[in-house]
Amino acid sequence: MLVSADNSSPSRSATAIWLRQDFAGGLVIIAVAGFAFWQASALPIGTLGGMGPGMLPRSLAVLLGLLGTLLLVDAILSDGPPLGRWSIRGPLLVLAGVVAFGLAVRPLGLIVAGPLAILIAAIASDEVRWGETILFGALMTALCIGLFKFALGLPIPLAPWLVGY
Amino acid sequence: MFDLIGNLGLGFATALSPANLLLCFVGVLVGTLIGVLPGVGPIATIAMLMPLTFKVDPTGALIMLAGIYYGAQYGGSTTAILVNIPGEATSVVTALDGHAMARKGQAGIALGIAAIASFFAGTVATLVIAAIGAPLTKLALLFGPAEYFGLMVLGLGLAIVLARGSVLKACIMVVFGLLLATVGQDLETGQDRLTLGFADLADGIDFAVLAMGVFGIAEILRNLESPEARNVVHGTIGRLLPSWADLRRSFGPIVRATGLGSALGILPGNGAVLAPFASYTLEKKLAKDPSRFGRGAIEGVAGPEAANNAGAQTAFIPLLTLGIPPNAVMALMVGAMTIHGVIPGPQVMTKNPSLFWGMIASMWIGNLMLLVINLPLIGLWVRLLKVPYRLLFTTILLFCCIGIYSINNNPSDVYFTAFFGFVGYALIRLGLEPAPMLLGFVLGRLMEEKLRQALALSDGSFMTFVERPVSAALLVLALAVMVVAVLPAVRKGREEAFQE
Repeated sequence: MLVSADNSSPSRSATAIWLRQDFAGGLVIIAVAGFAFWQASALPIGTLGGMGPGMLPRSLAVLLGLLGTLLLVDAILSDGPPLGRWSIRGPLLVLAGVVAFGLAVRPLGLIVAGPLAILIAAIASDEVRWGETILFGALMTALCIGLFKFALGLPIPLAPWLVGY
Repeated sequence: MFDLIGNLGLGFATALSPANLLLCFVGVLVGTLIGVLPGVGPIATIAMLMPLTFKVDPTGALIMLAGIYYGAQYGGSTTAILVNIPGEATSVVTALDGHAMARKGQAGIALGIAAIASFFAGTVATLVIAAIGAPLTKLALLFGPAEYFGLMVLGLGLAIVLARGSVLKACIMVVFGLLLATVGQDLETGQDRLTLGFADLADGIDFAVLAMGVFGIAEILRNLESPEARNVVHGTIGRLLPSWADLRRSFGPIVRATGLGSALGILPGNGAVLAPFASYTLEKKLAKDPSRFGRGAIEGVAGPEAANNAGAQTAFIPLLTLGIPPNAVMALMVGAMTIHGVIPGPQVMTKNPSLFWGMIASMWIGNLMLLVINLPLIGLWVRLLKVPYRLLFTTILLFCCIGIYSINNNPSDVYFTAFFGFVGYALIRLGLEPAPMLLGFVLGRLMEEKLRQALALSDGSFMTFVERPVSAALLVLALAVMVVAVLPAVRKGREEAFQE
């Protein structure tokens, strides 16, 4: 159970090291730094007077790795807040809604991509109400089409399969 | 002095043209409308609304964007007062006493004094920009690459000190931002760096995409997590105009805060963020009865709001004179300027005086419009805030998608935004505040360019940064700021300041 119960009574035992927020943070930062260093390792470094493309990415990756190590060591040595519980459903569905919009906007146009994004994202909320969501999605899409497509004339596709643009 | 009057005259002549007035009005109105939405701060608002300005000429576009910016800023204060959900860091302070006033049935007065304080601060800040813009531009022309580099290091140093939370984490985020800025083609050789094979990353990560992901999408993810706890003030808003007694009490705080905010806003590295905190602490110290603060003291709304607005506006100074964006909002302005073919920096003022002065004059007009249109519209904002979040967030999301897609008409920008939304969410959950990362990213490219130029000129010797007095002074200052921040005594004070 990773639920962050907030009993700050003095007798509370310290959070286990691997559950500490900064422990995880340090690991993630080190991993990012390592990945960047690996990706930049093929790029020439050059000299200080004539830097190559690899010089800064690699030095910054090393610096980031060092700072991440400091954070990790600090988390091992002293107690800190726990990582807490991550929700999966909310982020996953909201991001899926955004990606769905991106996938649909070119081939199907705003008229499909808009309601699609709204419907998928709406499931992310615990209190989804279908009738309301569908009506609202249609209304919002109509509003956006009116605003962005007609009032502002942005070149965003409307419904290529229906009206050709 | 006569120059100043002549320049402002040119500015007002530009800004008062019917088309520009209309753009300013629309910008302020739409900016407030989006900024009022809970969890949408100025950064996400501007990124979302940037496509609105694409069809307009550069001057009009920047006038409109500036209007969107103040609108969003003021909208954030409205939300902070009415629902106690600050849209971004700078309105956290307003929420303290503003929401307390609202609970006492004085929401109207809190909103009224916020608007009046913002207008006063905006007026003074506009004059400050007009007065010191020209001399600073002359100074900027003397800056070589080493000086520019030193100034940006100072900016990052300040950003680390001003960030909330631990100094180490802020350092990590700044370096992470700098690393993200190296993604894309190399400045000189054109080789792809860290692009992971994505052709869309050859020009680097788009700032609007990063900002929208980290501040727009991630904010939605975080809000969805905490169950709906929005208590929009029930009952009446009350009268809007503060009484004479209220005004007399607020006058001192407003004047002091305007000075503080104007000074802090000029600093590179988002000094403006500190301004409301500094003003609140100062007023609490000066007050005869400090215990009133936190329970609806009008000074606690007037001061921070003035400081906030003054800082938000003088933050244009580093951008317009040196071409260095001091915070994420200004970085978006750089993006918008580049889209319209204007390269920010000292040359804007000489090459394009009507754009420069028109924008400055429009700032004052925009502030006046805020005062005039917002007071009658408060009822509308209250009703908007009563819309449940399950409906609001899908709307915000759709606007985000359309806004990001429209910047380059490229669906892959939408995917990258989703990716950075996840990154932002992960960072928040890991206790790593993303704001310093954005500043590192903003300054990264320019810093690399100036560093490479400076070292090429000096044949690879770092002594160039020390031998040139201005760059040496800036670097020493940056070092001093960082050292002071980790000193135990200051560290404690800093933690206390952010606690409040």
